[in-house]
Amino acid sequence: MANLTRFNLRDKGAEVWAGWSRPVRTIFVVSFIVLMGLLPFAASWGPTSFLNTPITSFQNVLVYPVGMFILMALGLNIVVGKSGLLDLGYVAFFAIGAYTQGILSTLYGWNTWEIMPFGIAFAMVAGVILGLPALRLRGDYLAIITLGFGEIIRIVAINLSVTGGPNGIPGIPNPPSVFGIKFDLMHPEAFFWLVLAMILLVVWMVRRFTIRRPGRAWEAIRQDEDVAALMGVNTLVYKLWSFVIGAAVGGAAGVLYASKVAVISPDMFKFDVSILILACVVFGGIGNIWGVIMGAAILAYLPERIRFISEARQLVFGAVLILMMNLRPDGLLPRKKREKITEKRSI
Amino acid sequence: MWPLSFGGVATLHNTLHLNRSVDMNFSVITSQFWSLALQGLALGLIYALVSLGYTMVYGVLRLINFANSEVFMFGTFATLYIEVHFLGYDIGAPSLHGFKLVYTLAFALLASMLACAILAIIVELVAYRRLRARGANRLASLISAIGVSIFLLEGMRIITISRPMTTPRLLDKWSFGEFHGANFRIDTVMTIVAPIIIFVVLDQFVNRSRLGKSIRAVSMSEENSKLMGININRVITLTFCIGGLTTGAAAFLYTTVYENTIFNVGFNMGIAAFTAAVLGGIGNLRGAFYGGIALGMLEQFASAMLGSQWKAVTVFTVLVAVLLFKPNGLFGEAVQQTRT
Amino acid sequence: MNKKIVSGLAIAAATTLALGVVASAPANAAAKKSVTLAFQGPLTGGDAQLGQDQIPGAIYAIALYNAKNPAVKVELIKADSQCDGTVAANIAPGVAANKAVIGVIGTSCSGEARNSFPAYRAAGLTMIAPSASAVSLTDPKAPDRGFPIFHRVVAHDGFQAPALARYAAKGVTAPKFYVIDDMTTYGGPLAKGALPQAKKLGTVVGTDSVAKGTADYTSVASKVKASGANVVIYGGYTTDAAKLFKALRDGGYTGILASGDGTNTSDFPGLAGKAAEGVRLTAADVPFDKILTPAQLAEFTKITGVKVPGLYSTTAFNATNIFLDCISQGKLTRSAIQLCVNSGSFKGVGGDVIKFNRYGDIIGGAPVGGYLVKNGVIVYDSVA
Repeated sequence: MANLTRFNLRDKGAEVWAGWSRPVRTIFVVSFIVLMGLLPFAASWGPTSFLNTPITSFQNVLVYPVGMFILMALGLNIVVGKSGLLDLGYVAFFAIGAYTQGILSTLYGWNTWEIMPFGIAFAMVAGVILGLPALRLRGDYLAIITLGFGEIIRIVAINLSVTGGPNGIPGIPNPPSVFGIKFDLMHPEAFFWLVLAMILLVVWMVRRFTIRRPGRAWEAIRQDEDVAALMGVNTLVYKLWSFVIGAAVGGAAGVLYASKVAVISPDMFKFDVSILILACVVFGGIGNIWGVIMGAAILAYLPERIRFISEARQLVFGAVLILMMNLRPDGLLPRKKREKITEKRSI
Repeated sequence: MWPLSFGGVATLHNTLHLNRSVDMNFSVITSQFWSLALQGLALGLIYALVSLGYTMVYGVLRLINFANSEVFMFGTFATLYIEVHFLGYDIGAPSLHGFKLVYTLAFALLASMLACAILAIIVELVAYRRLRARGANRLASLISAIGVSIFLLEGMRIITISRPMTTPRLLDKWSFGEFHGANFRIDTVMTIVAPIIIFVVLDQFVNRSRLGKSIRAVSMSEENSKLMGININRVITLTFCIGGLTTGAAAFLYTTVYENTIFNVGFNMGIAAFTAAVLGGIGNLRGAFYGGIALGMLEQFASAMLGSQWKAVTVFTVLVAVLLFKPNGLFGEAVQQTRT
Repeated sequence: MNKKIVSGLAIAAATTLALGVVASAPANAAAKKSVTLAFQGPLTGGDAQLGQDQIPGAIYAIALYNAKNPAVKVELIKADSQCDGTVAANIAPGVAANKAVIGVIGTSCSGEARNSFPAYRAAGLTMIAPSASAVSLTDPKAPDRGFPIFHRVVAHDGFQAPALARYAAKGVTAPKFYVIDDMTTYGGPLAKGALPQAKKLGTVVGTDSVAKGTADYTSVASKVKASGANVVIYGGYTTDAAKLFKALRDGGYTGILASGDGTNTSDFPGLAGKAAEGVRLTAADVPFDKILTPAQLAEFTKITGVKVPGLYSTTAFNATNIFLDCISQGKLTRSAIQLCVNSGSFKGVGGDVIKFNRYGDIIGGAPVGGYLVKNGVIVYDSVA
């Protein structure tokens, strides 16, 4: 058991990576991306056909929940993992992105590519509106306020007619084709590649932030906010930044989701979704990008593959949260050694 | 290239009208005042009882007891189980009278309180105790508590296959009489009298008895309490236990009034109870009492004036507003501006 | 390489292989001698009674058909949507991707119908619904219409809503209506659709919208009492209708209580207790046990295990039979089924002729029945 809690896959991986030269690394990255790109065809190819999911089609599963969860978990990871702020209402940003796509496409006939920047922008604005007052509070209170915010967004969506009320918005168009790749219900693999591209973009963006000043500021805030403030870090601004960036990712995911499923309704954006994404982050390793991706992929995929888990999906997720926090709070792939969650002795 | 039509902005303005006319019906304030006030009082006192589970735990642990909503849910099912399976009354059973009624209800009440207290203690052990001993950070405790809450919720969902369940009407709902439209039914009166008794008893306990004082001591300063030789773990367990007892009582009253329950009944109750705790000032017992009443009444009046579809938003808005603008609540301490 | 990594990889590989072995149940090559129909509706969840009442009708129809030893047998798979649009949006693509399925008996609920359309439309999979009654589903101008794959064998709420108002006010001299809805795709339009007829028959003294799943109906009850209404019409499903009606009676309301087919399920009297007595319900259906002969009813019970067929067993039976009719004519592909259903003429079990119009409704409409709760049982009263 002790080995289980102390085995650090991440550090092993880092050792291996450091041992490689530049060209080897490039080849590895490129071949990895290509492999991922071939995933949609895995279900029909003999040797990997065990991956196929009963009832729901594998290619659809790759987009939602697997792809979407990974994307959203990456976004939430910025908020929870990098800065240590517990956001229980993350689904609100997802909803805002989705409804932006829904409203702007059905009322004004814009297409997904035109709507994407707006979806992201509105989610970011919501992040600021929520963040500015809420980030003054800490810990539990931030959690509850974000939970309240998530619910308020959902209930407002149920009650306004511009959002279609409880029926939601039907008839959302798929994105128009790009370079001859069609995005429609008959080609879910195209959506997967789109999501994959987004994931790569977000990973790249987060890494750039992490190694620069924002990343260091977030780390300082996460370790000890008061000390960070004393050392001259403008904690409110950086916390807001992480919140807003996380919101942007959520909004982008929402826009994509709405354009894929073509019909959205308020009951798709309940509190459960926020918890699912949180479970993905916790399971994978708070703060570690690769951990989060792995965790989200596993938690999103397994219930689709193993049906009896599917019935008890939320139960398993709850158990995951409890077990991870008690046995291995660092998650599957803990963060870097120096970033490791240091255990504070409380009084 | 971008089909931006600025005429579109004008149409957006038109489409923002609300789904149902929010008819700010102020006439209800006069015509239904007493009825709404009575209902608000009864419901609010149920909120107050449940909020004790949050406010007392926060007092000693400085952590939100997320799983208390599921403890409430468990209490409603415990009441149902006792009445239907243990005592053997099924849905169509005729209501009871006299002495049999009193001891049946008392039995169900005590059973519910006991079940909730036990569950609350288990929650403390699973979600909080291990992590406290390890000195883990707040995020971990919070997530662990959320995990317990989800686990209990989903467990019940699977057991009940998402079906709502009804309890038999053991208490015949006769009325004492009316007062300007306010209907004094027996269950409404019970829901007002019982919580008041519980609060008075609890208030005396916390202020007079030794155990009660130790709870207050730990709330004020854990460090100093340790120095004074108080067994912190025992105090914390006791606090959870008390929270469980009051939540169990609330669950019994709720089930008696509404006669049905469902696996996710805890979610909205938890939000409301927590809001009540914060409204009254978290960590403060009397605050929970008044906060609950205030919230209950607010909810009823808002629902009457704006329409029932906005009821949930009212609660959330109160919560967010209080936390942002008056975190002290009505009676409480400053929230979270101090160091962990 | 490090021992730990090697052993870790070995464990991972072994697990993957094990999973593969365990899970190796690939879609068996469908025997060309059988086709599959899918039933989509709530089989679990708060509204499960609706789907559980309907599926025996489908099972019975298919059993009768298979018993005749046809060349092509028919199988039934169940897609449990819990009457939830989100769940439907997730399972519909899966059902559509299942090549063996050539028709969908469903969906039971309107919200899930809308969310299933994109997947079924793209896959050319025909739907015949036993009870999804929101008007917009077959409205040529509505954005959420199901054209060209959606059909239903029930009267939509454009017929049911006014009938509900009429039936509720039957025998009341000066009806004062209070109309409440549950803010769902079904309940909202049903309640609103009843308003014009209500205004013609009397006055509407109040309206309210209470979200499905609300626990506390006491404030609604006070409002209704204060308004002086004597006819309450509720658009919504069983569980909430039971809560509402109980709260109304406990609050001292003595007038008429009425609701539509979402409440017309066999568990309603049990849930509502004394408050159910005398409640007026409508449904676009005629009870199955009124149509079957005693011998047929016995056979029904033997095949499905259900003694008293629930509501909409009839329509589920009819819907299934339309598919079976086309299959027995040799139409075994999705496009052939679609053509057959769109253009064919069929016989309902009550002797009525069923022919669909362009957008999926029965030409000539379908009857709306009025039901009463008497002594804890829902009984058929008359045409509403």
